[in-house]
Amino acid sequence: MIDLFANPLILGLALLGTVLGITVGAVPGLTGTMLIALSLPLTFSMEPVSGLVLLVGMYVGAVSGGLISATLLRMPGTPAAVMTTLDGYPMAISGRPGRALGLGVGASLFGGLVSWVALWQLSEPMADWSTKLGPFELFSLVILALALLAGVGDASRARGLLAGSLGVLVAMPGMHPATGELRWTFGFTSLNEGFRLIPVLIGMFAIGKILVDLTGKDGLVEKVSGNDSAWIEPGLWKSQLLNLFRSSGLGTLIGVLPGVGANIGSLAAYMAAKRTSDKPEDFGKGSEEGIIASESANNATVGGALIPLIALGVPGSVIGAVLLGALIVHGLQPGPLLFRQNPDAVHAIIGTVLVANLMMYLVMLVCARWIARLSSVSKKILFPLVTACCIWGAYALNGLWFDVGVMLVFGLVGWRMEKAQLPLAAFVIGFVLAPVAEENLCAGLMASGGSYFPLVTRPISLALLITAVSLLVWKKKGSAKSPRKNTP
Amino acid sequence: MPLTPIRMRPFLRFAVSLLASLCLGAGAKEAFPEKAITVIVPFAAGGGSDVFVRIFQEAIRKNQLCPFPIVVKNLAGAGGTIGSRAAKEAKPDGHTLLCLHDGIYTAQHYGNADWGPSDFEPLAATGRSGVVVAVSESSPFESLHDLMKEAIRRPYQYVFGTNLGAPNHYSALFLQEGMPGAKFRFTQTGGGAKRLAQLKGGHVDLTGFSVAEYEQFKAAGIRALATMSEEREPSFPNLPTAKEQGVNAVHGLMQFWWAPKGTPEPRLSYLQNLLRQTMETDFVRTRLGNLHMEPFFQVGEPLLETVRSRSANLRGITLEKPTPLPPLPELVLGVVVACFFFVWREGKMQ
Repeated sequence: MIDLFANPLILGLALLGTVLGITVGAVPGLTGTMLIALSLPLTFSMEPVSGLVLLVGMYVGAVSGGLISATLLRMPGTPAAVMTTLDGYPMAISGRPGRALGLGVGASLFGGLVSWVALWQLSEPMADWSTKLGPFELFSLVILALALLAGVGDASRARGLLAGSLGVLVAMPGMHPATGELRWTFGFTSLNEGFRLIPVLIGMFAIGKILVDLTGKDGLVEKVSGNDSAWIEPGLWKSQLLNLFRSSGLGTLIGVLPGVGANIGSLAAYMAAKRTSDKPEDFGKGSEEGIIASESANNATVGGALIPLIALGVPGSVIGAVLLGALIVHGLQPGPLLFRQNPDAVHAIIGTVLVANLMMYLVMLVCARWIARLSSVSKKILFPLVTACCIWGAYALNGLWFDVGVMLVFGLVGWRMEKAQLPLAAFVIGFVLAPVAEENLCAGLMASGGSYFPLVTRPISLALLITAVSLLVWKKKGSAKSPRKNTP
Repeated sequence: MPLTPIRMRPFLRFAVSLLASLCLGAGAKEAFPEKAITVIVPFAAGGGSDVFVRIFQEAIRKNQLCPFPIVVKNLAGAGGTIGSRAAKEAKPDGHTLLCLHDGIYTAQHYGNADWGPSDFEPLAATGRSGVVVAVSESSPFESLHDLMKEAIRRPYQYVFGTNLGAPNHYSALFLQEGMPGAKFRFTQTGGGAKRLAQLKGGHVDLTGFSVAEYEQFKAAGIRALATMSEEREPSFPNLPTAKEQGVNAVHGLMQFWWAPKGTPEPRLSYLQNLLRQTMETDFVRTRLGNLHMEPFFQVGEPLLETVRSRSANLRGITLEKPTPLPPLPELVLGVVVACFFFVWREGKMQ
């Protein structure tokens, strides 16, 4: 593995992939999936190992880059960074953008390293474990995640749930995820695939945020400024070790499961940190623990998602599926035999996860001060630029103006929700998870002949559901003491 | 989760036309093709069909078989029907094609699409792949015959992991037809990799894989019971066919290339010729060999006969009523209304 990265060409490709990944991750509207799909044909003419190094570097970079725009603009560049907006942005506008970035970057590195160790040493047992979880368990896991939404952000429990269930509702039109029947399309063929994630995400967060700022009383005043250091003192990391390990562990474990990935990983880690924290009231207002939990977990899902890919040939994420295709096009046989037949390819993937995480850390730390200055660019310049990127990104996804329209409509929805103090993060996560829940529930019911009993007779499923119910019913101490500001 | 769709048309179109006009403009002798040829792949990038078309794309580029590049456009969703609808409605000028396997017949039969093979001009069939019926290593069944007998004795008890409405689902339906009385319980498991995970985890009792998938997964703790080909697969000479085990079922997967209805004849024959030349390249031969696909090639009258017989084969198959599923959209609507009420009450209390 080491001699592979002694080759300056390979090292250069890893760096190129990481930097490109960070860039698309940071720009609202562009995503890692898009970058990797575009680059895939370019790798055909490369050696398989070089191609894999480039693609895995992009994957790591893209998941990490999302924290930049999430922190400085409150616009998550990737779905994985949604939870980071909750605390990163408040910290940045309170005059500490450098520190917020530093915490996110450091936590990302930690999460990446933990999942790298798991990928390197525990691939086989973890991949076997993941197959034990069937449709009923995955459904219960999503239900638990939806219950967690009640506590997201600074909002009340009812508002979190309302925002989350609205997200689920918006996911309903289009193709039934299990049977493929059409529903709620009202005769529009453009709606056959439902609303797509990226237009909804950038509409809600980017366009919605711009509308809020433009129509707000303080207009364009609210601004991130500050030139503080991104260097985080080692003492803080030491005091956050438990949080770091718990969040990275959760991220890795959840990343292994197919289809749930980075969103549930960072949500679960964030809520676990909030519930065990000494200062839960800080969450949603710029909590250091919150940033650390979300960012270490979402980077940990990268290594996690590669585990079933390497051990079984089963992709754990959309990007994983593209990498799988890359292996096949390069004439490699993914699956349990890959380790024996093509150890070079496996070592390239595992090694790149490590190298790209280290590069991501160095690049982002060195540039943090410079990147943080980006947010002090006048919003009169920044907003038109971001809007243009969003329109381009939404259009480029499929070449459909429909998606641009969806993005603009959800911009209005996001703006309205913001005024009603409904947490946008809960909405987006509900939207992402609804089809996963439905597909698994329906698949489970088809396998059980329509019986719901396995939900409570299968131990893991039962445990997840009991946790979900207790989260909803159990009144958190002190929650009654934090009344919301009244909505006008 | 709605896969973040991976499409690249605007970028690639631009880059490709730029490149083409720069260096290849003088190469074309005829008016066709006058620009890049877009092949719609109705599945996500990285899937089996995507890889298959990209092998052709690369072979055409490497051997300079066409003055203009081939552009792959992934239009995934709804079991391939989103992409096939787009291809059906594309301009019939030969610059937009569809590559879709037997899913084009099954989607129509299953009712997911009200269009089918007869709405296209069949160009060519390229590559044939067998189907392997597999169980988990811990399964008590050693032969397909025993399993089918058990499925007659205890109908609807054995769970078959399928992709509903896809060819894989029809493999199972053909098995049922092949031994009257045998009934499976079908569940939605999605693509090959997901079926492997479900089989390994004991969530389904049996499933079908393409030969390539089986080759890829066989070391992961699964056992093949039969192939559904006419003859034994050359890669697995010890694996008996379903027919040998008394189950009169034959099924396999072919990749078909389709042009929109009304594409002019000279252009069709140009494209058929292009596909034939591509098929004969060493690159395609080796790569298809790696995927355990037979380098089968068919055009003209034999192709039309194949298309007709594959449509006719499905006609005898009856679908049973699926498991009743909960009306989730309505339930969610109810939850939203309830949450609205709580938020409203909360506002009043303050």
